[in-house]
Amino acid sequence: MNPLLRFAIYLILAPLIGGLLAGIDRKLSARLQARQGPPLWQPFYDVRKLWNKENIVVRRSQDFYVFFFLILMVFTGGLFFAGSDLLLVVFALTLAAIFLVLGAYKASSPYSFIGAERELLQMMAYEPMILVTAVGMYLATGSFYVNDIAAHSGVLALRLPGVLLGFLFCLLIKFRKSPFDLSSSHHAHQELVRGILTEFSGSTLAMIEVAHWFENVLLLGWVYLFFAASPAAGIAAALGAFLLVIVVDNACARLTWPTMLKGAWATTLVLGFGNILFLTYF
Amino acid sequence: MPAFAKSPWVIHYDASSCNGCDIETLACLTPLYDAERLGVVNTGNPKHADIFLVTGAVNAQSGDVIRNIYHQLPEPKVVVAVGACAASGGIFRECYNIHGGVDTVVPVDVYVGGCAARPEAIIDGIVRAVQILEVKHKATQAAARGIDKLVYEPALAGDIPEILALQKVTYRSEAEIYGDDSLPAMQQTLAEIEADLAQWTFLKASINGKIVGSIRGRIEGATGYIRRCIVHPYFRGRGIARRLITEMERSFPPQVVRFETLTGHKSRRNLAMCEKLGYRVFKTEEYLPTVQWVHLQKERK
Repeated sequence: MNPLLRFAIYLILAPLIGGLLAGIDRKLSARLQARQGPPLWQPFYDVRKLWNKENIVVRRSQDFYVFFFLILMVFTGGLFFAGSDLLLVVFALTLAAIFLVLGAYKASSPYSFIGAERELLQMMAYEPMILVTAVGMYLATGSFYVNDIAAHSGVLALRLPGVLLGFLFCLLIKFRKSPFDLSSSHHAHQELVRGILTEFSGSTLAMIEVAHWFENVLLLGWVYLFFAASPAAGIAAALGAFLLVIVVDNACARLTWPTMLKGAWATTLVLGFGNILFLTYF
Repeated sequence: MPAFAKSPWVIHYDASSCNGCDIETLACLTPLYDAERLGVVNTGNPKHADIFLVTGAVNAQSGDVIRNIYHQLPEPKVVVAVGACAASGGIFRECYNIHGGVDTVVPVDVYVGGCAARPEAIIDGIVRAVQILEVKHKATQAAARGIDKLVYEPALAGDIPEILALQKVTYRSEAEIYGDDSLPAMQQTLAEIEADLAQWTFLKASINGKIVGSIRGRIEGATGYIRRCIVHPYFRGRGIARRLITEMERSFPPQVVRFETLTGHKSRRNLAMCEKLGYRVFKTEEYLPTVQWVHLQKERK
């Protein structure tokens, strides 16, 4: 398929799927807590409402950064689903996250400062593993291009089991889920862990939410890539990873940031790097 | 579909409650009542919230906090006073430290009765609040649409004093160009301009009832004379003058085949605008020692 066409399909479907996944997440979490839970379309209702609210800012420029966070997140997913270079995807993803951090720093409130610092810590935790994932896929298929990786005949998960596990670990951080929901949690609205969002309201908050949908679709697409040789298994794996994240979220208490950092780096070193060493020498 | 009906985010503040209403408020979020099924999220951040739930009566300490939180809620917002104390002070009403209900500090939209208010009543209050949110949102939107909406219509006799005041403000910039305060437009009196009303047709451009631009025209044979196109300095560069001239041309009957206007020789912006509208200079004459009239004309197409 034409990359441009794929990009167009992604632009239309990603927010729909992302929002729907967020709705499933809320419904499922509610059911796990013996509650009825909101309607499936709740995230869309929320975003529409936020869009109609007044936007209160500390500084106008903070919205500018969040706008770029959204644009870059869309761009990152676009690169991925158009079949571009995986390394470029990693760098664009980092840049997008950095813009959110800058936005939070720009807001000059102690809460958003702490949120921004925690977001940076999270990035330090997951970045190495994401990079190792890209490198592992290259070693297994001989190409950094998503197109080539997806067209590879073997199931990557069989050659990269360690990398896959490490990537799932990162998924917990990236999805902002317990035990690693340090900078912005889906629950605990009264706590410091909503820090990074403190000073954003109205349409800006809606943009962060939509960016998060795009991000989730990209990450689940990446899980699919591990099983791209058999699409059914790929979709099952992506959905499985999503369910796993929700169950872990509801079953775990939050850990401290040093635990997250040590855990993520240890996982990267043992599972990720170990897997790569294995691929290189055997 | 209404934008606010399905996603009421709440912030809860305890003004000086005995905690009875607070416990019942939190009970709304438990599996038994699960207010989240209505989309309710109990936020801890006023900037994310739509509905401000206050429990307890207002005392010297909590009054400022309520005001502060209230002002941090983005519009549209609704205040719900939960329980008897929040409504009126309740059993603490006459206490030395109690100001009274929440409405002594901020406007309250919904009162939920009870001591303590029951969770069902609180959820009912939130549902009422959502309807008010919708009404407020519509009112804001209507107001926002009214802003910057220009109305072009014939001016009436009652508008003349306002148009004269506008003329004096507008010609200030012309007087500065020529260094001459004796321009007739600056000197015109109310009686004179009211006398003009007999011969000239006036058009006005107004925003929210305030006149920001005006023009006048007169017919003589087959020629329509257009004069005194004025726009308030704050509203220039938005095409109001151009629209006024076009509206004036359109208001002349079909036997008028030629339009004529004039401006001072140094008023470059006016000249440029007239030329853009198709007017061409055909005559220049001395009017005052400082000002030369530049006459422009245009055929009706």
